[in-house]
Order: sequence, then C-alpha cells, then structure tokens
Amino acid sequence: MRNYLKIGMGAALGALMLSAPAAFADDEKIVVGFATAASGFMQAYDKPAEDAARIRIDEINKAGGLLGKQIEIVAADTKSDRAEGAKAGLEVIDKGADIVVVSCDYDFGAPAALAAEGAGLVSFFICAESIKAGIQGVGPNSFSASVLAAVQGATMAEWAYTKKNARNFYRLLDTWTEYNKGICDGFDYQLPKLADAKLVGEDTFKNDDASIAAQITRIKSLPQEPDAIMLCTMMPGAVSAIKQLRAAGINSMILNGSGVSGSYWLSAVPDLSNFFVPDQGSVHGDDPNPKVNEFNAKYKEVTGGDPSSQYVYPGYVMIDVWAKAVERAKTTETAAVVAELEKMKDEPTLFGPRTFTSELHHQNRGRYLITEVSGGKPKVVDEWTISEPIPVDYLASK
Amino acid sequence: MTAILQILFDALSLGSLYALGALGIALIFGVMRLVNFAHGDYIAFCVFAMLWPSIDAAAIVFAGNLPTYLLIPLILCVGAGLSVLSEILVFRRFRNANPATMMIASFALGFVIKYLLLMLYSSRPKSIDLWSNLSQQIEIFGARIPPLQVITICTTIVILLALTAFLKRTRYGLEMRAAAENFTMARMLGVRANLVIMLAFALSGMLAAAVGLILVTQTGTVDINMGANIMLVAFVATVIGGLGSLPGAVIAGFLIGGLSSLMQAYLPADARPFRDAFVYGAVIVMLIWRPNGLFSSKAAKQRV
Repeated sequence: MRNYLKIGMGAALGALMLSAPAAFADDEKIVVGFATAASGFMQAYDKPAEDAARIRIDEINKAGGLLGKQIEIVAADTKSDRAEGAKAGLEVIDKGADIVVVSCDYDFGAPAALAAEGAGLVSFFICAESIKAGIQGVGPNSFSASVLAAVQGATMAEWAYTKKNARNFYRLLDTWTEYNKGICDGFDYQLPKLADAKLVGEDTFKNDDASIAAQITRIKSLPQEPDAIMLCTMMPGAVSAIKQLRAAGINSMILNGSGVSGSYWLSAVPDLSNFFVPDQGSVHGDDPNPKVNEFNAKYKEVTGGDPSSQYVYPGYVMIDVWAKAVERAKTTETAAVVAELEKMKDEPTLFGPRTFTSELHHQNRGRYLITEVSGGKPKVVDEWTISEPIPVDYLASK
Repeated sequence: MTAILQILFDALSLGSLYALGALGIALIFGVMRLVNFAHGDYIAFCVFAMLWPSIDAAAIVFAGNLPTYLLIPLILCVGAGLSVLSEILVFRRFRNANPATMMIASFALGFVIKYLLLMLYSSRPKSIDLWSNLSQQIEIFGARIPPLQVITICTTIVILLALTAFLKRTRYGLEMRAAAENFTMARMLGVRANLVIMLAFALSGMLAAAVGLILVTQTGTVDINMGANIMLVAFVATVIGGLGSLPGAVIAGFLIGGLSSLMQAYLPADARPFRDAFVYGAVIVMLIWRPNGLFSSKAAKQRV
C-alpha cells in the first residue's frame, strides 16, 4: 500500500513538473531568459554579447515577432558566482523562459544551463568556446553560439602555412584556462597535417607571470627565429607576453586565438606588427560584409560604444539561429526546436555559417576573418575556413 | 657563459620584483606583526590611479599622461596615502587584537579595495603604455637585459639599504622598533607610536606603488587582480626570509624568483606547466629545514 502511495505521489509530482513549464507558458508571447552576469567579474564579458542578443530580439519584434508573437526578455543576475548562477537559471525558468541564455564561460554558465536542462529547456551559452558547453558538459538540449577554441588554433596554423608560407612553428601556451589549452589543441591537431611544417620548440607560461624572460631566452636560443609563434593565451596575460616578446626583438609572426580580438589593448604595445587574430566579424569597421558594419553602427547607437571585440557577435548569432529553428519547428517546444537546430548545416549568419549535429552543439569548423595588426593598426586581410572539421572524438579526448 | 649570464639576469629580473613586494610586507610585519594581505590590492589601486574611472574596454589614461617627474611622486603618494588611510580607518582599531584577527581584517580590506576598483573600472583588464623604451633590451656581454630590470634591481637594493639604515640609525627607526616590541610600553616612554606606525604604513604603501609602476611598465596591463600573484609570492618570501627580517625578505624574494626562472629554463617540457608546484615544493623543504625562516628575527622567535 505504502509503495503504491509512493508511486502515486511520484507520478503526481512528475506530472506536476512536466506540466509546470506549460502552465507558465504564455500563448501571447515568447520568453527569452538571460541568466547572465549583470554584476561582478563576468559582467564585462557577458554584457556585450547580451546587448547584441537584445538587438536581434528587437529586430525580430519589429519585423512582426516570432510565430506572430512578441519576444519578451526576462533576466536574473548570476552575480558572477556559480551558486548564484544555478539560482538565476531557476529564476528565469520560473518567469516562464522558453530558452535560457547563460554566461559566456563554461564554468560560470554551466550551473544555469544545468538548471535549464533539468527543466527540459533549451540553453544557449552566449559565447563559451569549450566543447563542454553543449551536449558533452551539460546535456542534449544545450548549445553554444560561438566557435570552439580549437578551430581558432587550427585556422591560424593552416592559414599561416598556406598564405604566409610559415614552416617553422613555435608553440607558447599559457596554462591558465581550458580556453587557452583549446587553442593549442587545435593547433596540435592541424600541424601534423601540413606537409613539411614542423614544431621547432614549445614552452608554457602562466597568465599572471610577472615576467616571461626565461621563455623568451628559450626562443632566442633557437638556431633560427621561428616563422610563426602560436600564442595560446588570453587577457590580461596576453598583452604582457606580446609586449615582452616584441621588446626582446623577436619579430616572428604571432598567431593568436580570438581572445586578443579588438583594438582596445593595442595602445600597450605601440607599433605592433606581424600579428594575426581570427575574428568572426570585424569590429574595426572594415568587415567585407556591409551588414556587419551596419550592425556595428546599430550596436553603437544602442550601447553608446563600438563593439570592443568579436565576442559581441555570438550573442546576435544565438538569437538568430534559435529564432530560425523556432520558426521552422512552428513551436518553442524543446524537442522540436533542438531537432530543427540539429538540421542546420552551414546555416548562414552575419558572422559565419553554423552547423549543429546530434553529436556536437558547437562549431568544430568555422569561417574566420583574419585580422592583421600592422604598425599598431588592425585590418582584415583575409578569411579562412579550415579544410576539415576537427573530429569530435579528438576534441572530447582533450 | 652567455647562456648562464642570461639565465642569471632572467632570474634577477623576476626576483627583484618579488623582493620589492616582500619588503613592503616585511616592513609592516616587523613593525606591528600584521601580515597585510591588502598589499596586493594597494599595488592594483596605485596603477588604476593613472586611469580615469570608466567601464569602457579602452583605458582612458589620465594621470598617466603626466611627465615622469610628476607621475612617479604622485603614484608614490597615492600608495602612501591609501596605506596610511587603511591604518587610520582599519588597522588602528585592531592594535591590541590578536595577529590572526588583524590578518582577517587585511583580507577584508583587500576585498573592499578590489570591489571598489571593479565598480569604478569593471573587471576587464585595461592596457596602458608606460615608458616602453625601458623595456627595449640592451646587450651586456651577449646577454639581453632591459633597462627596466637594471632599474628594478638597483631600486630594490637601494631601498633595502636605506630602510635598514633608517631603522637602525635614526630616531624614528628606533621608535618604530620600540613600538614593534611593546606598543604600550613604548608609548609610556614617550614614543609617538601612532606617528611611527603611520610612517611605516606610508613607506610600505610607497613600495606597493613602486611595484605597481614596475609591473605596469613591464606588462602594459592594468587589472584588478594584478597584485595577487606578487602578493602571494612576496608573502611566501617574507616567511622563508624569516618573518620580520628585511634582508631575509629581500634575499628570499630573489631566491624564489631565481628558482622559478631556473625551473622554467631547465625542467623538461612536460613538467614545465607544473613549475610552481616544484618551486613551492622547494619552499616546503626549506621550511622543514628551517621552520623560522632563513634569517628569523629575535622578536619573532620570542613570540613563538
């Protein structure tokens, strides 16, 4: 009897949980929930992409809405704290979110994404670049709007080899974050595929190292300056490393991840040259696609400033692809939307094509603009898509 | 030969920065048994003082545009001012408290400073180009060394000598040491204890400002966490040097910097990411060998 009661209660509870989102869902509107940082450390990284997402939502609303309904925004602050992140996730779900948008970083975004996964909702990392931001780290309804860090490393290696004739590569890894390691993983995958390209040396440093003099000495003692240095790092240590490399008279081409995108830091290394960055779109006003430049103008109008780095753009892409999937599924029902997202193959967006599969809710291949910094001035000089996607198995094994 | 010389310079260059940081912490510890964990945040604060408060990604350089002969005294004054202010507002209330309580208070103060900077400038690191010609390297006997390192090393040694002379030979130094030994007794004997402690805080704040200036010249980066790493290493250096011993702190600072550079140069590639584990492993061995540090001061021993 008692067991029956338990099962009965369980079933009732289950039914309640299943019906809960439906009970909150409003037929008149579609709700996008932002469980991102509005204060604290992550705010500076979440806010720009969130602003871009809001711009896309605004565009959709002005064009008549999604499935004929207006999109409404609800938000909860994660306060740049993981425990608060889970609460913020639950809060936007309670407010009836149909999709939960979470922080730019996997570690900070995962708690809210897991809350969404638990409630059976789609979650989108606004710009995380780890493979864990998706199926691998959260679950089958989780996606990321950016491109994997590994693609950046692979793109730079293949591009420098093909377009700049680089043959001797040096690998300098900052061991601080998974993102940094991801860039170098992509580089490591790509390099052996390039005939007669070789790794002439490698070294590591830590983002907050006050001096990388010892690492520089190792590069200086090579018989020949390498053609290119793959620098897998991010702010703030990146500026310090670049400044010290150039001050030591090392003039090799420096290849980077998108972490150094933007021009806001260039004043620290005056006259920087021979420096290359992969960007999903150009913040410097010279994107080959005029629509990107229009977006930049709109962004400035809304926020009062130019986009500071390419990490603004994934926010826009996120709403764009999700809205398309909802449009095609004709519902915001999770299973149907996920199925439509997984059908996307090279879906064009303003900032490069997007592909999602049932194996990977992230980009293991992507088009990148190559920005060259020359004489301290950044300029888009090329664009590149790696010849082969980086296998999911390889990425997951790292 | 050149290779060895280069490694020596690399080691000195990192070590001198740590030594300077350690000196600032050892000074306060020597005077009032306080391990000031807010020291790292003083460093960041002094550097941010060169920028106009704004949460934009690009830094708005304000005071940083002043000519060098004004900028250096200004930033040193900012450091001294902040440090003295924290003494008056916070540490003075804890004068008779137990050292652990004071240490916790210093942690709290550090958080307050850090979050103040976060509010004013956002968490995003900013960039500033300060005296970059000092980073352009010159060759000495085939080894490369940036003038900045020479300046740092010389500054550290000069400051150490001047401080030692000040503490040992002048009246204020004597009063400072007396206040450190027994605050109440020193006051009864006519030592203007509050004044000398404030003086020690001012000196320590200036040292933080000096570290900040050197760090920002070298890295070009301003970040709310920029002092944290130096603070940690400097604290470890003061412990190995023997808490309260100024020369001990400086020598230990050089030792840690040197060890770290040597490990980076000679460890195999696979072990290099774990460099710090080896460095701190050596620190543990050192402390097992000499639990009171290399040059433990008499005052510290009596209290143990």
